[in-house]
Amino acid sequence: MLGYIKPLKEELKVREYESYKACYCGLCHALKRQFGTMARNLISYDFTFLAMLLWEPEQIPRRAHARCIASPIRKKGIYDSAPVLDYCAAASVILSWWRIKDTIQDERTLRVHRDRMLAILLKSAYNKASRMNVAFKETVVKNLEELNALEQSPGVSVDACADKFARITEALSLYVPTEARLRPLKQVLYHIGRYIYIIDAFDDLDEDIKAQRFNPIAQRYQVTRWPPSEAIKKSIEQTLLNSCALISSAFELLPTTAWTPVLRNIVYLGMPSTIERVLEGTNKIKNGILLEGMEQ
Amino acid sequence: MNDPYSVLGVSQSASDEEIKKAYRELVRKYHPDNYHNNPLSDLAQEKMKEINEAYDQVTKSRANGNTSYGSSPSYSGFSGSRGSAEFSAVRTAINNNDLSSAENLLNESKNQNAEWHFLMGSVYYRRGWLDDAQRYFQIAVQMEPGNQEYVQALSFLNRGGQTYSPYGYNYNRGSNSCGGCSVCDICTAMMCAEACCNC
Repeated sequence: MLGYIKPLKEELKVREYESYKACYCGLCHALKRQFGTMARNLISYDFTFLAMLLWEPEQIPRRAHARCIASPIRKKGIYDSAPVLDYCAAASVILSWWRIKDTIQDERTLRVHRDRMLAILLKSAYNKASRMNVAFKETVVKNLEELNALEQSPGVSVDACADKFARITEALSLYVPTEARLRPLKQVLYHIGRYIYIIDAFDDLDEDIKAQRFNPIAQRYQVTRWPPSEAIKKSIEQTLLNSCALISSAFELLPTTAWTPVLRNIVYLGMPSTIERVLEGTNKIKNGILLEGMEQ
Repeated sequence: MNDPYSVLGVSQSASDEEIKKAYRELVRKYHPDNYHNNPLSDLAQEKMKEINEAYDQVTKSRANGNTSYGSSPSYSGFSGSRGSAEFSAVRTAINNNDLSSAENLLNESKNQNAEWHFLMGSVYYRRGWLDDAQRYFQIAVQMEPGNQEYVQALSFLNRGGQTYSPYGYNYNRGSNSCGGCSVCDICTAMMCAEACCNC
């Protein structure tokens, strides 16, 4: 949704990078094929990571060529027709839909009108995705409701809020049928969710303070002015790195697949480097997502 | 049993040096220090056993006298002898990943001493609530500064928890790279020294 889970491009081998892009493009095409052109707006690095993580070890990625809406002149190599891509596309639509609804509630600027339009245009896609994955949709709705309730209560801890979002990402592990993969996968996905929640809270800290909206970090550290102190940033960095440690130790217990090198880069290099950039303030993600991903 | 060469991640024609190197890398990866109080430590322990067996099998068939590091050190979060009798049931529950029982037992206890805070922190850590865990550990250390178990738990979290990386230590960590000798450096050096003495 937000582009926090991505690789450190400089440390990827060229073929690994090409492979990663092909998965990203494959996800975009799965979104279009299943949910229509508007749904392509929901493409994200985070769900690309998810697709690679959940990819069945025995399924060899099948290469195809297709046109890209963002650079229409040359056809691009993509990975096609993998059930995991359809699953991730549906999950992406469901989660993004609710995030858009949340933004509409909180947003005070003119952007709210664009988000309202997006919500209307994506309604049928959301309905279709919900039918494809009822269990996940119910988990999302339940946990987001509980999260909203928690955010109204005073003195709530960062972990308690992050837990609600982490339960949503953890639920994505149910795609995997084998028990052996399930336990490590659940730990990876739980902490991915926690990481995203906390890092997103920090990214929004500035705007939330100005708008006087609830922010779990502002509350935990009693931050009333931007920027927060170095000690606070250090504490946030530590807790995020602790999540990364639990992600990597769980990740090493998953079977090796064709995607392992890229996933290793994301887990050991990409995610810590994102922490640094966010804490420095050099990682502001804009909300127009489609073209964002096409940085070549 | 799986093909030992594929468990070690080497080809059948790999040299002894390559095999030893692959084995050491795997030991570093699945070392209990990386799985301290981790809910998946039992899986890591199984993996370590598999790796040791594979290495033994390969070196036996090559008949060059190298052996694995033998039975791995303890993976469990807590040894039975540490801590008071009052909370031993809590420790057992945590080791079995039965976090709700552990938390219930702690909530029933009237004695909220340092050990109580430490065990509460451990429950929260296993649940993934790392920030709250850190705060409980901090209180435990404040209440009983000399206790090594609590100090180690807190410093593990203060370090950012990361002990293994395939890209080497301190890669990309810039300002917060730990200089000097950590526990892991000592342990690795000991393992390397032992390996050298064996050949």
